[in-house]
Amino acid sequence: MYRYDQIDRTLVNERVAQFRDQTRRFLAGELSEDEFRPLRLRNGLYIQRYAPMLRVSIPYGLLSSVQLRMLAHIARSYDRDYGHFTTRQNIQYNWPALERVPDILADLASVEMHAIQTSGNCIRNITADHLAGVAPDELADPRPYCEIIRQWATLHPEFSYLPRKFKIAVTASPADRAAVEVHDVGVRLKAGPDGEIGFEILAGGGLGRTPIIGKLIRSFLPQADLLAYLEAILRVYNRHGRRDNIHKARIKILLRTLGAEEFTRQVEQEFEAGREFAPQLTPQAVERMRGYFAPPPYLKLEDATPAIGGASSGSPAYESWLRYNTRRHKVPGYRVVFVSLKKHGEAPGDISGAQMDALALLADRVSFGMVRATHDQNLVLADVPQSALAEVWRELDALGLATANIGTLTDMICCPGLDFCSLANAGSIDVAKQIHARFDDLDYLYDLGPIEIKMSGCMNACGHHHIGHIGILGVDKHGKEWYQITIGGSSAAPAALGEVIGPSVPKEQVSETIARLLEVYLRERHGDDERFVDAVRRIGIEPFQERVYETNHTPA
Amino acid sequence: MRRIIRRRELVADDARYGGEEAAAGTRRVRPAAEFIAALGAGHAIAAGAAILVGPTDEVETLAPHLGLLDLIVVEFPKIGEGRGFSQARLLRQRYRYGGELRARGELKRDQLFFLARCGFDSFDLAPGENLEASLGALDAFSVAYQDASDELVHVQRRPNPA
Repeated sequence: MYRYDQIDRTLVNERVAQFRDQTRRFLAGELSEDEFRPLRLRNGLYIQRYAPMLRVSIPYGLLSSVQLRMLAHIARSYDRDYGHFTTRQNIQYNWPALERVPDILADLASVEMHAIQTSGNCIRNITADHLAGVAPDELADPRPYCEIIRQWATLHPEFSYLPRKFKIAVTASPADRAAVEVHDVGVRLKAGPDGEIGFEILAGGGLGRTPIIGKLIRSFLPQADLLAYLEAILRVYNRHGRRDNIHKARIKILLRTLGAEEFTRQVEQEFEAGREFAPQLTPQAVERMRGYFAPPPYLKLEDATPAIGGASSGSPAYESWLRYNTRRHKVPGYRVVFVSLKKHGEAPGDISGAQMDALALLADRVSFGMVRATHDQNLVLADVPQSALAEVWRELDALGLATANIGTLTDMICCPGLDFCSLANAGSIDVAKQIHARFDDLDYLYDLGPIEIKMSGCMNACGHHHIGHIGILGVDKHGKEWYQITIGGSSAAPAALGEVIGPSVPKEQVSETIARLLEVYLRERHGDDERFVDAVRRIGIEPFQERVYETNHTPA
Repeated sequence: MRRIIRRRELVADDARYGGEEAAAGTRRVRPAAEFIAALGAGHAIAAGAAILVGPTDEVETLAPHLGLLDLIVVEFPKIGEGRGFSQARLLRQRYRYGGELRARGELKRDQLFFLARCGFDSFDLAPGENLEASLGALDAFSVAYQDASDELVHVQRRPNPA
């Protein structure tokens, strides 16, 4: 992974000192609430429903065990002993005291972490495929480019006061596990005519109250021009993006207003005009960065186990875990292990300090001391020798982190909702619990196959509801919590936005509504292999609407 | 007396904006649009003029006339306004403007470092900001990841950066 040198260390330490002074001025009354807001936000600090919320950056989701232990320490010392992993591979703390936040930042800095630009109208955390470097289907490891972009974006003097937030995601796989089509800018690694690495650039995607799939604006960008091109996009956006209406300020609105063709023309023109002063990415700089992401010292192992579907271990629970919570690794003898943060009874994405500590220890023993955060709010041990899988399962199971539901209906994405967030219209955590309670039969879940539920407590869409196979959006109706249901969305390429099936349903009927959707799916699906989302695409939403809105909709 | 920061020193504000009364030691700063219109109408303009650039003004239109200007004031009318950062970089780097470039408006010391890196060399901060304390904010960071227009601040960069 990337390691700080003296430049990085100094920058982060100086940022801590700057924020400490800003906090002091606010507490001393030298800064008004309005003046402090943009300052604290660009350091990930929100004032929430009950307490401040601090969002800590995890660049492209990659954590060392040392860093994970520090996250546990922070949970224990400054919060209520837990953290919440987000859809942008970050972690949030829901209960820190404002005056102690500078100390948290200093603790983070000691392990090469920070909260810089995790909120506010600036370039946010650069996210990536959580299987980067180990996925058999990737063109090359995208993380060196993520780190290059991260550094360029950090405290960028020109692009720190943008019209609105700006999210960049990078992928190197056709499967797109980073949802690049719904980011302000999506970067796809692509091989050029001579096999050299370059990029496909998408822009103007995003969710929120105006969900839009990003448009392809450059089909091949040479490696050297990556930052120069980003700079051109950002400059066009910074100058011409709307600032008069917060709901129309994202780059997607600028792109839609200008049209993709005109937007692209402006970016290309700025790119050409800006060449003289734009950053050029040298092959040496890329090589230097690649060095930080060199593969760990893998052993030469046989690809013997796991015999999924083969010789039985005698433990059906282990077999299920193996099937659902592990994935193929590109190196023989290794396997990728998902750590499920979707246990029934827990808020999706939540993890306790003790669980983090134990996981750090496990990572040290079996996965080269590294852990990854995924955009669907789970964690990953990416490099587990197959011979250690049974032991890893036993330990994760004892920790409550082995629920064998990755990719199934209960592997839900869920925002903090009304329980914590001051923007939310409705709860999401308790709806997730309701769904968990209703669909707790794993065999039924396995029969349903891969299905993604994504849930947001308001139209800001932190829970990505538009791109869920089933999307759930909390709305406020005369002070009551109701839920609008969409189906047919997808974050994986080709991304798609779900369609609203009809009037929203009251809270107590969410899981019954889902049960009816699933009933139609099981009745209509072609064979065992057609996924829910594919069935929706094939037959349309009408059969689902008919069943959901039949009369005598009995409460769950 | 209004004060500004110019090249790391506190000095009296020398600018006078629309509607303000003439006072000794001040010069009129006219809106960029008025300056362009005067040029378009064929009025002779002596070198050493001062203009005010708003967030929506296109600095490209000024490019051929920068030799006539020795003060450009870029306005930041609201907290969070950010277009001036791009305007400054374009004026300094792409169009090679060498005169005084001033940031004015709803700005606190917290923006000074970024403003200086974009090429501003004088600063007319929000009323009430502590200017003595603000001087130190030009050195909030001693390192940076990006190339910029760093005449006023001293940042260390990595030898072989991206």
